[in-house]
Formats: sequence, structure tokens, C-alpha cells
Amino acid sequence: MSNIITIKGLSVSYDRKRVLTNIFLDIEAGKLYAVVGPNGAGKSTLFGAMLGLTTPTAGDIAFWGTSIQTQRQRVAYIPQKNDVDWTFPATVWDIVQTGRYPHQKTFSWDFFFKSSAQQTQKEHDKALTMNALREIGMEHLKDRQIGELSGGQQQRVFIARALCQQADIFFLDEPFVGVDVTTEAKIFQILKRLAAQGKTILVVHHDLSTVEANFDKVILLNQRLIAAGDVATVFNKENISKAYGAQLSVLNKMAE
Amino acid sequence: MAIFQILQTEWAIRALSASAMVGMMCGMLGCFIVLRNMALIGDALSHAVLPGVVVAFMLVGFSTIGFFIGSVAAGLLSAAAMTWIQQHVQTKNDAAIGIVFTAMFSAGVMGISWISHQQGVHLDLKDFLFGNVLGVSNSDLYLTTFVSCFVLISIISFYKFLFISTFQPIVARTMGISVQGIHYFLMLLLSFSVVASLQTVGVILVVAMLITPASTALLLSNRLNKVLITAGILGFLAAIFGFVAAVVFETTPGPAMVMVSTLFYVIAMLFAPKKGLISRFYQKRHLEHKIRLEDTLKRAWRLQEKGHFSLDDLAAQVSFPAPDLKIILNQMMRNHLIINQKEVFQLTDTGLAAAARLVRAHRLWETYLARELGLTEEQIHEDAEKYEHLLSEELLDEVDAHLDFPDEDPHGSPIPKK
Repeated sequence: MSNIITIKGLSVSYDRKRVLTNIFLDIEAGKLYAVVGPNGAGKSTLFGAMLGLTTPTAGDIAFWGTSIQTQRQRVAYIPQKNDVDWTFPATVWDIVQTGRYPHQKTFSWDFFFKSSAQQTQKEHDKALTMNALREIGMEHLKDRQIGELSGGQQQRVFIARALCQQADIFFLDEPFVGVDVTTEAKIFQILKRLAAQGKTILVVHHDLSTVEANFDKVILLNQRLIAAGDVATVFNKENISKAYGAQLSVLNKMAE
Repeated sequence: MAIFQILQTEWAIRALSASAMVGMMCGMLGCFIVLRNMALIGDALSHAVLPGVVVAFMLVGFSTIGFFIGSVAAGLLSAAAMTWIQQHVQTKNDAAIGIVFTAMFSAGVMGISWISHQQGVHLDLKDFLFGNVLGVSNSDLYLTTFVSCFVLISIISFYKFLFISTFQPIVARTMGISVQGIHYFLMLLLSFSVVASLQTVGVILVVAMLITPASTALLLSNRLNKVLITAGILGFLAAIFGFVAAVVFETTPGPAMVMVSTLFYVIAMLFAPKKGLISRFYQKRHLEHKIRLEDTLKRAWRLQEKGHFSLDDLAAQVSFPAPDLKIILNQMMRNHLIINQKEVFQLTDTGLAAAARLVRAHRLWETYLARELGLTEEQIHEDAEKYEHLLSEELLDEVDAHLDFPDEDPHGSPIPKK
């Protein structure tokens, strides 16, 4: 078994308020993970700390045994749809090709001078962008302005960017908010296919009713780690009630 | 003509060149300022540079380079002060900006009048407020050229970073890009261009050179690289036309440039191909017309099930006035959807097929809403009434397949097959 992310004793505080306490977690390659927990459980904070956006107060997070700073190319973050300015002047192509940025040199003069190596690199990046668009079935929409897409297509643009980046780990923050049932099923289909190809996918997820059918692994969180493991063994009434505490009404519905 | 003689004089050529460069530079940089909601900061920095000029004057006297360095230092100091207050004091962001720049501006104005009185040197406040493009010296021109080139090369070289950190700062950070660094670099570029623009348009109007061409360009194009080029060209043209207009009408050049720029904006606001008000009005009208035509078609289809129908029968069914109905019926006759035989109307086969498509859309959508979203029979009609006009044929086929090709809608009415 290969653990690609190892979290040891992670704690995060904001303004002296503990948000995450002493989390130990191993993430395995090629699995589809749901991160669930009530509002304020620290799901987004966990993502932030793992992605190196938030500095932990204690603990250690390792990607392939080393710091994320050296592994940025292999990790992609797919933000919530509502956090995006959809009127921004950019086409689908423009957004998807930004997936190549982490692979490109920090500073390039290629606008001014073009060497043949850079030319080859450019062609390579273009081909990967096109492949990513094809993989999610959006190549015919590549010249659309992003605001002119449907809700499901908007979410898929960012998945395409992660594909274009050739990332190994995908972080998705609530990808199913404001997305209809059909689109949700379509996105799950894409995610499952990616997991089958060996990609690791972590999803902050709200809808407990779809966890069992769609995810391999589940991480139950409520400021501390309640349980983590295979959906079949860990996603049971006891653990859910521990994570959701007072919100028992949800449980009663689940039991029906 | 006198105007051409004036434009051939050395001072006019200097003034025109400086203005054109400033117009282009501010236009391009302004795109990022507008997209990052930093218009107020642009305005603030331009006001805040004034004390820098005063301090530079006191230290080294009248020197282009001295003024430039002093202004940029004052601009960056203000930017840092604003950020510090925003992060450490419980004051709203825009209020923090307002407090810092008005204080800096006031200090500058007081300093300038003090210098004028005490030291007997004439520094004209008006030149700083509204620019003094006619007084552009050779060294001013060199400085403007240098700054414009620097800003232009920076935008091109750092385009990728500016693009991603403006669009999605958090994603940019996960890509290992220093968003904070980009922000301060942009502040530096902004200070540079503000200082270079002071002589052409002055403190008060610099912000117009930054935001007006950029906003115009954003109405005209959907891709950032095109927006940048368009804004650059618009700023360039506004500066040249504004200057010429000022010479012709013997008025102040800075405000004339701003007025030309505003004129461009108004034209784009009205006539832009996709985002212009007129085009949007016609798009809306077009959609309304389509909806009326399709409603008429559906009503006619229902009436025809009971036989022929007259204009009055139809007018009683539709929700808009009879004269409009006549126009729509005429169009339908031209398109061979309906025929008129002695004041009795009948749908043609084409008309019947078109109506069946609409009814299919309506009833499929009702079925979809009822089954997938669990809405009741009363809730679904209104929604379907709206969406029957908007759903594409492919999407309907998808819905049909998704629902496993239903025969009846929730009200029990048959769904026409394709």
C-alpha cells in the first residue's frame, strides 16, 4: 500500500481559536476520498493546510515524503464554483492552459525570443491542453467565454485544467454545489475514471446520501478526526453521529 | 492651417509623444486595476504622490529624476500604509484607503503652498492637479519613455502571473506563485505610471486614464490579451485626439483626453457587439418576439384540435394585444407555418410539427421537474412555460432518454414523439 500524503499531528488555529486538533491521516494513491463533517468542522481548513495556504500551528504534512512546495506540479486545486468571477475575460482554452503554468519556467522571455526548445515545449503544452479538453468532452466549447457555459460545464473546465496540469492529486472543494443531478452523475463518472487511472481525489462533500455509492474512502471530521478509512467499514451510523453531534435529525433521515 | 503648424513645433511634438505613451501604458495597466477592483487605489496613489514631490523639491530642488523618485516613494509608502491599516486596524478597506490618500494629498498641498510663499519659488499647484503637458521637457520625455517601456515589458513578461493571480488568487498560490509579490509589483507599476502621467493629465484625472479605456475594452472583448491590446490602443487614441482637440479649441489638454476617452466608453456602452446596451435590447426583444410567436403557435395548435379558428378566437387566447398578434400571424404566413383562407386560419404541416416540438418540450420539462425535483403539478407549469422556449433539441433528447421516454406528462397529457 502506498501512502502519498502523510499528516502527523496537524493542528490549526485562527486567532487562538482551534479549528483542527491533532490530526493523523494517511492518504492512499488511486482512491476517491470524501471529506465530510458539519459546517465549521474544518474541512476547508484541512484543505488549506494541506495545500500550504494556511500555516499550521503544529504538525507535519508530507507529499511523497517531502514538502508540498517541491511537489506543486503534481497537485491541483479545483475551487468552488461560487468563488469564481465568471465575467472574467477568458475563454475555456485560456483557463485550461493555465494548468501548464506550474511546469513552465518562472520567468520566460519567450514573447521576445523563441528558442527551438521553447517552441517544442509550447507545442507540447498545446497538445496537452487539447487532450484535457477532449477528455472531458469540451473541445467544441474551447473558444467560449467562461460565463457563457452551463453550471456543469463551468465545473468541468477546472477539472480539465487539473488534467492539463497532469496532476496526481486533485483537491475539489464542494464541486456539487449548484449543480443538477445529471451533471453531478457526470462529474462522478469523470472522477471515478481518474481514480481508476491511479489519480488520488479528495472531495469536500456535503451530501451524505451520495457518499456510499460514489466514494472509496471517507474522512469524517469535526475539528478532530472522527474516523478515516474505507466507506464500507467507517461510514456507519456511530461515526456519523460522532461527527455531526447534535444534528441528529440528519441521521434519523439516513436510517429510514 | 494653424493647427498643423502648432503640431510641428517642438513642444507640441514632445507633449503629443508623452501623452500617447502615457495613454497606452495607463490603458494596459488599467485592465488589471479594473479586474482587481482596484480603481480606488489607482485614484488614491495618484493623490498620494504629492508630498513626495514636495520633499524631493526641498532636498534637491527642481529635478525630474528627483520628483520621480520622491513620488514613487510616496506612492509605495501610501500603499504600504493602506495595507497595514487594513490588516491591523478595524477600519473598512475603502475607508482606510480614503484616510491615507486624503491625508497625503493634504500634506502635499500644504507643502506646495508653503514652498511657494516661504522660498519665493513658484510651484503651481494647478499644474499638479490638472497636468501641464505643454511644459514637457526633454528629460520628462526620456523618463516617460523609460517608464512606459518598463511597464510594457513587465506586463508582457509577467502576463501569466498577472492573469492567474487576478482571476483566481488562491489557485495561483497552489501553483506556487507569490500572489502577495505580484500585488506589490503591480503597486510599483501603478506608482510608476501614475507619476509619469502627472504631467499629462494631473493628479485628479490619472484614474480616468487607468479605468476608462480598460472598461471600454472589457465591453468589446472576451479575452484578456485582446482586452489589453484594445485598451492600449484606446488610451493611445484618446491621448492623441484629446491633445489635438485641446489645441483646436484652445482648452486644457488633460481634461480633453479624458473626455475623448469617455466618449469612446459611451460609444462602446451603446454599440458594443455583444455587451452593448443596444445589442442587449435587441437580443431581449428578439427573445420576447420568439416567445410570443411560439405561444401563438401552441394556442393555434390547441384551437385546431377543435377545427378551424378565426383571428378573434386566437386573440382571446394569447396574452398580448391584437395588433401585435397580426404582425406575428403575418410572419407565420410568410414562413408557411399557417394559412389564412377567408379569415379562417389553419396550421400547415410545418406549423403542426413546430407546435408539436413545443408541446413536447413543455411536457417533457414538466415531467422532468416533477420526477427529478419532486415538484407538484401546480408548481411545474410556470417553469415549463418559460423553458419550453429555451431548451435546445439535443438537451430535450437527453432529458427524454434520461426519463426513459415517457408517454404522458404529470397532468396525464400525451407527450408528442419526435
